[in-house]
Amino acid sequence: MAPDQPRTVRRATFVLLALAAAAVEVAAADTRPVAHSLGHALVWVALAAALMRIVPVPEDPRAKPPGWVFALLLAFAVAPFVTEPLRRNWTDGGYPLELQMVAGLRNVGLGLAACAGWFLCLRTAAVVSLFLMLFSSAMTNHTAVLVLLGLYAGAGSVWLVLTYWTGLRPALVRSDRVVAVEVEPGRVRLPWVGLTVLLLASSGGVALAVVGPKRAMYTLGELVPTSGGTGDVDPFARYGVGDGPEETAGDNAKAAGMVDTDKLIEDNENSLVDLVSDTYGPPYKPPPEQEKMVAGGSAKVIQTDGKPPDGRRPSSAFDTARKGPKGDRTPADRAARGLFEVEGRTPLHIRLVAYDHYDATAHRWTGARKPVGKHLDPEGGDWMRVGYVRPADWYLRDERHRLKVATAKGNLVPTPPLLTRFRINRVDRPDYYEWDYEGVLALAGRKTTPPGVVVITDCRTLDPHRLPDAAFGRTGADSGSPPALGEVPAALRPELERLARAWAGDRPRGWPQVAAVLAQLRTGYAHDRAAAPPADHPAPVLWFLLESRRGPDYLFSTAAALLLRALDYPARVCLGYYAAPDAYDRETDHTPVTAQDLHFWPEVQLRDGHWLVIEPTPDYEVLEPAPPLLERILNGLRACAAWLARHSVAAACALALGVVAVRRRRRLIDAVAVRWWLWFPGRTWRDHVRGAVRLLERRGRWCGCPRAPGQTVAAWARSVTGGATCDADLVRLVRLTELAAYAPDGPAPAEARAVCRRALVAWPLTRWYLRTTPTGA
Amino acid sequence: MVTATPNAEPGAERLDRLRAALNRALRGKHGVIEYVLACLLARGHLLLEDLPGLGKTTLAKAVAAAVGGRFARVQCTPDLLPGDVTGFSVFNQKSREFEFLPGPVFADVLLADEINRTTPRTQSALLEAMAERQATVDNVRHPLSPTFFVIATQNPVEHHGTYPLPEAQLDRFAMKLSVGYPDRADELDLLASAVGEPSDERARDAVLAGDDLADLQGRVSRVAVQPNVRAYLVDLGRATRAHANVTLGLSPRGLLIWQRVAQAWAFLKGRAFVTPDDVQDVSQPVLGVRLGMEPRAAQEIVRRLLESVPVPV
Repeated sequence: MAPDQPRTVRRATFVLLALAAAAVEVAAADTRPVAHSLGHALVWVALAAALMRIVPVPEDPRAKPPGWVFALLLAFAVAPFVTEPLRRNWTDGGYPLELQMVAGLRNVGLGLAACAGWFLCLRTAAVVSLFLMLFSSAMTNHTAVLVLLGLYAGAGSVWLVLTYWTGLRPALVRSDRVVAVEVEPGRVRLPWVGLTVLLLASSGGVALAVVGPKRAMYTLGELVPTSGGTGDVDPFARYGVGDGPEETAGDNAKAAGMVDTDKLIEDNENSLVDLVSDTYGPPYKPPPEQEKMVAGGSAKVIQTDGKPPDGRRPSSAFDTARKGPKGDRTPADRAARGLFEVEGRTPLHIRLVAYDHYDATAHRWTGARKPVGKHLDPEGGDWMRVGYVRPADWYLRDERHRLKVATAKGNLVPTPPLLTRFRINRVDRPDYYEWDYEGVLALAGRKTTPPGVVVITDCRTLDPHRLPDAAFGRTGADSGSPPALGEVPAALRPELERLARAWAGDRPRGWPQVAAVLAQLRTGYAHDRAAAPPADHPAPVLWFLLESRRGPDYLFSTAAALLLRALDYPARVCLGYYAAPDAYDRETDHTPVTAQDLHFWPEVQLRDGHWLVIEPTPDYEVLEPAPPLLERILNGLRACAAWLARHSVAAACALALGVVAVRRRRRLIDAVAVRWWLWFPGRTWRDHVRGAVRLLERRGRWCGCPRAPGQTVAAWARSVTGGATCDADLVRLVRLTELAAYAPDGPAPAEARAVCRRALVAWPLTRWYLRTTPTGA
Repeated sequence: MVTATPNAEPGAERLDRLRAALNRALRGKHGVIEYVLACLLARGHLLLEDLPGLGKTTLAKAVAAAVGGRFARVQCTPDLLPGDVTGFSVFNQKSREFEFLPGPVFADVLLADEINRTTPRTQSALLEAMAERQATVDNVRHPLSPTFFVIATQNPVEHHGTYPLPEAQLDRFAMKLSVGYPDRADELDLLASAVGEPSDERARDAVLAGDDLADLQGRVSRVAVQPNVRAYLVDLGRATRAHANVTLGLSPRGLLIWQRVAQAWAFLKGRAFVTPDDVQDVSQPVLGVRLGMEPRAAQEIVRRLLESVPVPV
């Protein structure tokens, strides 16, 4: 006999819809974890699968589906619109109207697949699945959607083969089960009613948009949010093509997603000067007789002067004597959630300015611009390789980050330390870039880095504990490093040297000494961003080290750099951004970097020219090399073990319950099913009897004596009892079953329900297992 | 093993008498008797395929006697002509007219012994009689008895000089049975009963009145067959046509006969509705006569067919 093709085709259709539903969920919110999207899709698919088990298979598949099928599909279509307000209230998230409509269509498709016994539903379900998959593919290029698309292509091929096979083998397959895709003979009437309704709806919508109130036009605009919804009417409408306000490429500064763009534009945003002053307070202004040393001013002045390039960068000087920030740093309004977004492991230090020289008199760091001899070499695939990097054997494998500029304050190209190569879309000419400072990349000749620019970087990683002594440079004249990197103000040197040697102790030169200095600062000093040295203090660093023992990060950095210089290590401080792990957004898989993340840190130069980021400020960390897979697994196991140790009682109880539940799962399921059967006996006594028989059949199936498909209930009962007719309860149930299933309509037999109950009681699971003769039944 | 069950339905007493009479005639063959009764009540015809001397003729005679009808026998030989079966017209010298002399088909129970020994021409003369219960001779239609019942026998061993029955004729039989040898106790009983008065001499009274058989057949036709059982039957019929080892599947006529025999079987069980058990119980003799399949594998093929189609519950 030929295989049961229609059932296989129905299942294949359901698989198509399940894949399409998963793709729609992923595409609808491709910034959230795929597991969440698949979980959402699974809920609807499970609902449809349950419905599929309930919906009967019609005797004539070519018949028109009954009215309740259409009512069911309508309910499925409306469901997303009903659940959307709840979702918006409970989760602060939501779908735009367009996606709600697509979700409704997805539900209709799943409902059609559940009712695929009717050929009309089956064919329509296949078409709907195709539309949904095409929609998802057009919405996003997410990897999961591409994978689902591949699976869909495979499943679709199987579906086509199955339908073709059923049509090809009428000799093996009953003609009424053949799924024909050909046009049926006879004149087909056009669905005039449907077409008229569609035409009227379309015309009404257009008319409303053209001659109706402006709000109506806006509301209709929200229906196509991925083509330009404004978000004015529906807060969940999205902007432009892509993923909405967080994904816009081009001239919208709210961009946050990682989308490559070719569009480089100018803007008039405020300069970094304001940002630094906002973060750390305005610099200490010397008395009038003192020479003015602060560069830059307000952004407006810079812009009207027509000399923005220098002014738009942070000042090349930084005063460590400041008054502290004023007012609340929380912005009242923010166009984007960050200056840029980081995709990749954090913490990450992104340099903005590097300062080499410390002027003890003015208490300020200054840095040299435009380092020479640091060139970029174009590499294949639009990559730009950092030419001055020399290979050394203490580095581990490169690590990739992607950084997207949202609201740039200057022409900075954000890059992590230890950069080896980077790429900005297809910009492959080295003269498009310049080095502002050593290790600080910028766009040459531009005022700002355009919003939406995505910088892909490969950076080296290293474990400083494994650095040999020879890896660290020296500050002497014959060391090769600039003299400024080893300068310690003479007024501060004695105290700093004493302190540094005391902290370093007798540790060998190299990382142990550096780590000792850092450990002292991290453990013995408190980070206080609001603390500021007295304005007239002759040495803010000494005030911090010896008196207050608390201060902002730039004092930590200054102290660390000077202490290390006192120990003959070339060191500098950097101003930049700190991508904090705490800010990691699980939904977008990004770490936003905001203006509040401005940070100071010191760096030590290695002998190969690289700058090693060190972190003396408490609460800040340095990116460590990614642990190998085995170590990560072990860490995970350790974390699990620790969690279990913390919740040992609960875990033991859960385990015991789980073991019991697994071992006695059949009894539990059976008990629940029997309760269900008792509470919901069905509409008629026939349903009740059939339910009892199914319960018994399931018990038999679990215990190794299932009823074969071609076996009648009576024959099965005989095989179970070994032909014995003494089992009155089972015999009565068999007769009752025959009456329920095959007799014409008539009154319910007396004690039908009692007979069922007695049979279920007389044949519990234990008896099926033992298959013993009934005792008291 | 098929066992007779006491019948409490209307007509049950007549049925029990009929069953008892046949059991007296053919000892130890309760199962066969049940099938014969089902065939008779379903208004079908019976093909007995068995070795000589196993009681085929005895059974036919007993059926005829029990239902109170006229019994006729045709010994099928190669020189048997169609007119010898249906009858023929002769010219009456006195009345100067042709008169129709009815043949054996005008009996209530016709035993066509060794039907495969006669020519296809003569075999086909039975087609109309079996299917339509009428005989057309010289363009004149002659209705047969409403309870016309054919019991044909054929010998499965001797093949020389035989003419296998065409499929068209096989399809007109409701079922094919094999009587088989009685067991030892029944044979001892048989010998014991043969001592004394010859068995042929023993009185064989009719156990049914004139219209009793037609009444019982009418009751059988009213046994309910629910849609799910009908669908089961149709599924089984279609499965026979799709089976790789069946060269000729079940015809719609065969499906009708199967349903009627299942109705009769349910009636014999005292039920007013047909269950899939009834359908399965009569499947072997019903399908065995009409499906094109290897005879030795027939039982296995039918069993697999029944296993392949889900039973509705």
